[in-house]
Formats: sequence, structure tokens, C-alpha cells
Amino acid sequence: MKKLISLLLITIISISILSGCGGKKEENTITIADQYGLAYAPIQIMKDTNILEKHTDNINIKWKKLANTAAIREAMLAGVVDIGFMAIPPFLIGKDKGMKWKIISGLSMSPLGLMTYKENIKTLADIGKNDRIALPQPGSIQHILLAMAAEREFGDASRFDDQLVTMAHPDGMNSLLSKKEITAHFTSPPYIFKESKEKGIHQILSGKEALDGEFSFIVGVCTEDFYNNHPEIYRAFVKSLYQSIEFINNNSDEAASLLTENYDLPKEEIKEYITWPGMNYSKKILGLDEFINFMQEAKYIDFKNKELSQLLWEVDLYEKQ
Amino acid sequence: MKNNKLLQRIFWIILLALIWQIVFWSGRFSPLVFPSLLEISATLIDSLFNGDLTQQLLFSLSIIFQSLFISLLLALFFSLAAHYSEVVASLIDTLVAVAHPLPGIALMPLVLIWFGAGRQAILFIIIHSVLWPMVLNLRTGFSSIPEIYNLVGENYGLNRLQILIQIMAPASLPYLLAGLKIGWARAWRALISAEMLFGAVNSSGGLGWYIFQKRVFFDLPGVFSGIILIIIIGILVEDFIFNKIEKKTIKKWGMKS
Repeated sequence: MKKLISLLLITIISISILSGCGGKKEENTITIADQYGLAYAPIQIMKDTNILEKHTDNINIKWKKLANTAAIREAMLAGVVDIGFMAIPPFLIGKDKGMKWKIISGLSMSPLGLMTYKENIKTLADIGKNDRIALPQPGSIQHILLAMAAEREFGDASRFDDQLVTMAHPDGMNSLLSKKEITAHFTSPPYIFKESKEKGIHQILSGKEALDGEFSFIVGVCTEDFYNNHPEIYRAFVKSLYQSIEFINNNSDEAASLLTENYDLPKEEIKEYITWPGMNYSKKILGLDEFINFMQEAKYIDFKNKELSQLLWEVDLYEKQ
Repeated sequence: MKNNKLLQRIFWIILLALIWQIVFWSGRFSPLVFPSLLEISATLIDSLFNGDLTQQLLFSLSIIFQSLFISLLLALFFSLAAHYSEVVASLIDTLVAVAHPLPGIALMPLVLIWFGAGRQAILFIIIHSVLWPMVLNLRTGFSSIPEIYNLVGENYGLNRLQILIQIMAPASLPYLLAGLKIGWARAWRALISAEMLFGAVNSSGGLGWYIFQKRVFFDLPGVFSGIILIIIIGILVEDFIFNKIEKKTIKKWGMKS
């Protein structure tokens, strides 16, 4: 009898606790999450110049900086973040597993590259079994690009998978510069710019070579929930995003002085970086097909619905190559 | 009695699993957040038999046992030295005071520079997490031995080594075992967090890397199956290793009920 009672109590307690979860959201709040790096510069501009505030009234805007894409994806799944910025492959992995989200627009295209300090490594084929490659995480755009190049050159997408070390860009850069066991680093701006300025560091592979074409590095992604429930805020956000991208393209000087505080780099350096050849801020979405086709073939995703309307909120932004 | 305890444990586990599955079936949460137990078990079995998980598990366990063994030797050495010399004792106490509250993960940036991101780095972090609580336990164990035990030994004409082996070792065994249990739990924690931060240190990595990989590929059943595997191993080690040792020693000797 006693056992029965305690059993009943535990069941009731656990059910009542669980039903309390679920998190209510405030009305008219938008939470936007991005990551570190110059590819996200327009978001910083939008924040610093209050562009979004000008297009909306009386809404509560929250900005979050998260350390990696997985964290943004989890926050969006939990309903804590409405709009997040990430590369295309992590978006596709989430979509494949059933995340209810679509791409809003592109944000930036950017030089990405695999850098090394070893002089005898000139091409991918020179990377030995004992070399270690640092990149942000498996499933990141850097990992997928490396796999694409490995598939094309050696017919084996997972050739380097046993040699990966997961590191955030700053750690990866420090490890590469210390010239020890991390022999190569697949990275993005500003780290790739800083590394390419170091003596003895050279590039083995660029993102463009890996994918064999141009692609959007970072895209904006919005949850279905937010898109359906707050159409006005969504529209205002899209307008603000376009304006921010335009701003950084037309006023690189002013943009650089705005960004200098946040990125802790001198203005001239920022200006050099945001106008670096290949560093383009654009709302266009490029490379989607290439990523989908490769990731399907290499079994990272197993997509059924490939219609653009399933993947994009603004289908007209898509550009086929 | 023993069977009864086992039955009780199985009963509770089945009950918890049932509650889990009922919550899943209720559809209150998206399966992305709250996956079905059946799916979790399927993923676990698939990873164990078709994937790298078995190899990863063995790798993790080998690192844990290796670091536990090294920590135990070091802890024994430190505590014995402290037992016989007051100068050493004050040194060891200071070291413990400095190092014990320091989380291994806080040392991560330094460890990366000193050892790189390899097996040594993980070993270092685990030993750091395990060693200090073990030293504390052993020190307490040695100092809690009533002086009269040692005097009896001396009366019997035992030398230092004989007193150490025949009197001090068994008398402080409950503390040693408690230290080992704490060490075991802390080793798991340190290992999983270090592996999640460093990535794969050999070709396929360990359990922490498995969980991390499942996370970045957004495979929640996979994440849960890693966690469940850790729980299963924890229970097995507790029930079949520690309890067995206790039964054969300190319980048999009447030092613990």
C-alpha cells in the first residue's frame, strides 16, 4: 500500500512539473542571434544604428551572440531565438531532422580557406595521416567544404574525418600559429586574413575551389512560428536587414568606424577586411543546390522535399549558378 | 536480500522508462525535443554494433582506468609522505588547498598549450580532478586511525612496513574506497567535458566526442543514447565492482553496515 502511494505521488509530481514547462513568450518580442566574425558585420550595423527600431514601434528587440551554430539551432528549437544567422550546411542538417524553419536571405559571401604552416604541404594530397586539421565542428560549413574537396580529389568524402580537431576560430588560429600538432586550420574572416598575413602560413584550399563556385557563407534563418505569428515584425526585420547590407556596401568607411569598437580592431584594418576581394555582403542566396546535392550523396542529410518554397521564405532571392 | 535489491532497482528503472514513454506518447512535446525511448534504444544499439561507439567506449574507459590508477598511486604516495613527515604534510595541505577548488576545465587553455589536444591533455585533466579529493580522503583515513592500533602493532614487534600493510591499510580502507568512488565519478565528468572540448584525440574519439558529434548533427536520440550508456556503466561499476569489494572487505570486517 505504501509503495502504491509513493508511486502515485511520484507520477503526479513529475507530470505536474513537466506540464509547467514550455515557456511562454512575450508578445511583440524579437530575439536575433548571431556569432562572432566579420561575416556578421551587417547585424552589428543594424544593432548599432537602430535600423530595426526605426522600422517598428514598441517592440522589444533582443540580441544574442552565441559561440557556435549548434547553440543557435538549439535556442531556436527551444523557442528562445526567432531569427538566427548561420551557414547553409547546419541549416540543412536541422531542416533534415525536422526543424520548422526557412532561410530569409543571404548575408555574406566570404573567403574561406584551409591554412597550414608546413611548407611541404602544397595540396590536399600532401596532408599526411598524422596531420591534424582544426575547424569549428563536424557538420560546419568548413567541414562540409573539406569533405567536398576530398570527395572530388580522392573520391572519399570522409578522408580527413579522423584527423579533425574541434576548435573555435581564435583557438584554432593560436594553435596553428604555435606550429605544433595542429598543422592546418579551416577558417573564415578575420582569422583567415590575419593568418595569411603571418610569415610562413599559406593556403592549401579555398572555399570557392572546394565547392567549385560562389556560395553564401552566412544566411539568415527564421522559425515558422515567428514568421506566421509576427508577419509585421518579420517584414520590418527583412527591410532592416537589406538596409544594413546596403549601408555596409555603400559606406564602408563609416561602417568600419562603427565596427571598430565591437571587433576590437583598428578602423583601417576593419575597412581593409570588409572590402577584401571576395568579401561581399549580399542578400542573394548562392550555393544552396551544391550543398544539398553533395550532402545528400555523402549521406549527411536525406532530404525528401527539395522545392525551394520549402527552404526559403523569399524564393526570389535564390540564384542558380 | 540481494535479489530483492536488484528487483527494486529494475522496478524503478522500468517505471521511469514508462513515465518517459507516456510523456512522449502524450505528444505534449515535439519529438525533436523529447524523443521516444524506442528510438533512443534503437540508436544506441545501432551505434554499438554498427558504429564506432564500442570502440569509443573502450577508449574512454581505458583513459579513465589509467588515470584512476595513476591518481591512486600518487595519492597514496602523497598521503603516506604527509603521514610520516610534518613538513611534507603542510606542503601537501597547501597544494590541496590551491588545486582542489580549481575545475579542470578552467585549466583547459593552459593544457592546450602545454600538452596539445591529445590523450595526455585529457589524462592530465582527469588526474587533476581525481587526485586531490583522493588525497583528502586518504589523509582523513590515516589520521582517523586510533593511535592505540599502532601501539598494539608495535607491542607485537611489527616494523613500519608491517604496521602499514597489516594495520593502516585495512583500517583506512573505507576512506580509500570512498575516495575511489568519488574519483570514479569525477573522472567521468572530467573525461566527458574534456572530450567535448578537445574533439577526437585518437581516430574515433571517446564517449564525450560521440555525444558532441550527435549534438552537432542534431541527432537528439543519439545524444540521449550516449547519456544512457554513461548511466548504465555507472550503475554496473557501482553494483558489481564497488559493492563487491565492500562486501568482501569492510562489510565483512564489520567496518560498514
